[in-house]
Amino acid sequence: MSSPRILVVGGGPAGLSAAWDLAEAGANVVLVEEEGFLGGTPKKLHYSLIAPDLKPVQEVLDPLVRRVEQSGVEVMLNSEVASFKGSGDGFHVEVRRKGGSLESHVFDSVIAATGFAHWDPHKKYEYGYGVYPDVLDFKDFERMLSEDNLRRPSNGETPKRIAWLLCVGSRDKQVGKFYCCRMGCVVSIKQAMEVRQKHPEIDTYVYYMDIRTYGFWEDKVYWRSMEEFNVKFVRGRIGSINRGEDGRLVAMAEDTILQRPTEVPFDMLVLATGMEASRGTVEFAKLAGLELEEHGFIKPLQSDSLPVHTTVEGIFVAGTATGPKAIPDSVSEGSAAAMKALNFARRKAVAERQQTR
Amino acid sequence: MVVEALSVLRNLPARKKEEQAEPSMLLGGSRDLGLDTLKLAQDIYDQFTADPRYKEYVLGCLNCGECTTGCPAARFYDFSPREMLQVAMSNDPLVLLNAMHEKIWACCQCYTCNMRCRFGNDIAGIISVMRELAVKNGLDSAKEVLRPYTRILLKVMTGGTQVSPDMIQPDFFVDWGPDAVSKASDLKTLRKAIPIDVLQVTDSAWEVSMQTSLELFQIYQESGVIDMVRAVDPDLVEMITDIVDEWREEFEEMKEKYGVR
Repeated sequence: MSSPRILVVGGGPAGLSAAWDLAEAGANVVLVEEEGFLGGTPKKLHYSLIAPDLKPVQEVLDPLVRRVEQSGVEVMLNSEVASFKGSGDGFHVEVRRKGGSLESHVFDSVIAATGFAHWDPHKKYEYGYGVYPDVLDFKDFERMLSEDNLRRPSNGETPKRIAWLLCVGSRDKQVGKFYCCRMGCVVSIKQAMEVRQKHPEIDTYVYYMDIRTYGFWEDKVYWRSMEEFNVKFVRGRIGSINRGEDGRLVAMAEDTILQRPTEVPFDMLVLATGMEASRGTVEFAKLAGLELEEHGFIKPLQSDSLPVHTTVEGIFVAGTATGPKAIPDSVSEGSAAAMKALNFARRKAVAERQQTR
Repeated sequence: MVVEALSVLRNLPARKKEEQAEPSMLLGGSRDLGLDTLKLAQDIYDQFTADPRYKEYVLGCLNCGECTTGCPAARFYDFSPREMLQVAMSNDPLVLLNAMHEKIWACCQCYTCNMRCRFGNDIAGIISVMRELAVKNGLDSAKEVLRPYTRILLKVMTGGTQVSPDMIQPDFFVDWGPDAVSKASDLKTLRKAIPIDVLQVTDSAWEVSMQTSLELFQIYQESGVIDMVRAVDPDLVEMITDIVDEWREEFEEMKEKYGVR
């Protein structure tokens, strides 16, 4: 019996984890990644420290990348799935390398680990993203932190007060994003801690309507941010941003505990941009005929008991392609999908052998 | 519902005499809580929740405060659209009645809260429903608040749907500032300064035909507007009715004169 041939689409935490497990189990794995490197969105957008241990992103991802590279996985960088057809003898897939050449493969099963994208805060014009240079979103600020270059884009000075605004592009009917992004709270608070760690002179304020640092993030991140780093929390959302006379940002918000409208000047505002299905996720779902669920992510066959099955037999899904998720969850799902994909390929091989006998 | 509320009241543990005289905590200590108040509150609450708009406008609230952030009234008054939505969601007749006495009138119906609301509530809309009920039920507070608008209403209801600058009495609008009276003194000249082609009038917007006026009055009558206005200002309704009656006679004479049926 020859080794099962399995395709993994996407080289982020979930895809890396799936590819590594499959290779270890003896499968022939092809990993298709559209960027020129492995590591996915955390790597692409230069994330800084990863909660809750505040570990640099390299320490989290590099071991995964190394394992995949050393395990015999055929990694195809700068590549994307160009055509996809399922039939009795497997999935016929054409992969296009950047530059144009097409390669045809046949796979026994497929794992979609096509990931998420950060929501574009331009669409929420009242927050001033793209209008005021000192209004940043997650990807801008993570990059700033990872490059240790904390300056106001407007004038290059070190900020004195930074505000975070949670739930931008999440929990908002107006922009059609009804769901919680799960990560905005913990990432914002983590960023504030990072700022306070490196620059104790900077004041940090987090504007929130709910803090959802679920599980161990509660004490390791939320409580710690107050106990050790004196991060301040304001219960109420910033409803609009204006430019003050001195060039600072003026955040207008209701403090819903004091029950009064407030106007507070800040040097920088970070928008906790939510997660949506990536372009790759939507396009692959279309190519492979996978159903999407109501929020635009890939629909699991059963969200409770079959979370890594898709609505198409033989195609499995892992990571943020099914919804907002933390890196450890994506890694776990990668392994889970690997197991299901391998079992499916083996069952298929057994059935074929019985048929030919 | 009224009976329910009263039975709840009866089941409360016996209170000391001085405590009984104390107003309800829910009313913020501002008003006496007699049985009449309770009944009125329950009546208004029942009308409020039975209004088909209630279910449509009030969905839920994350208490984010973005509505209040954008609210111009919240900057000047003890008023918050978020609080009004919470009142609408409170299931407490007394809380609703208390808000209807004063707070709802601070809203300027600019609908910024609706634009901001990420839950899709129609906050300005539910406030206008509360206002309608305050008028319909003839609350004293509504009479007081609406007194400055009597002349405007008279003009609108007798002269067609129009308000012109001459009808507005700056004396009643202290929040317009001290210059409002002097600035409004020579409106004719100011109008001439408008560079685009407009009707150069300040005492009316346009002339409405008598037939249209009579038809409008009939619409006000049949849609219940006249009854609403009567609840807060019966004298005004009498005045309007007199004017309209005169018109009607005149109109009938005209029809006869020109042989129109």
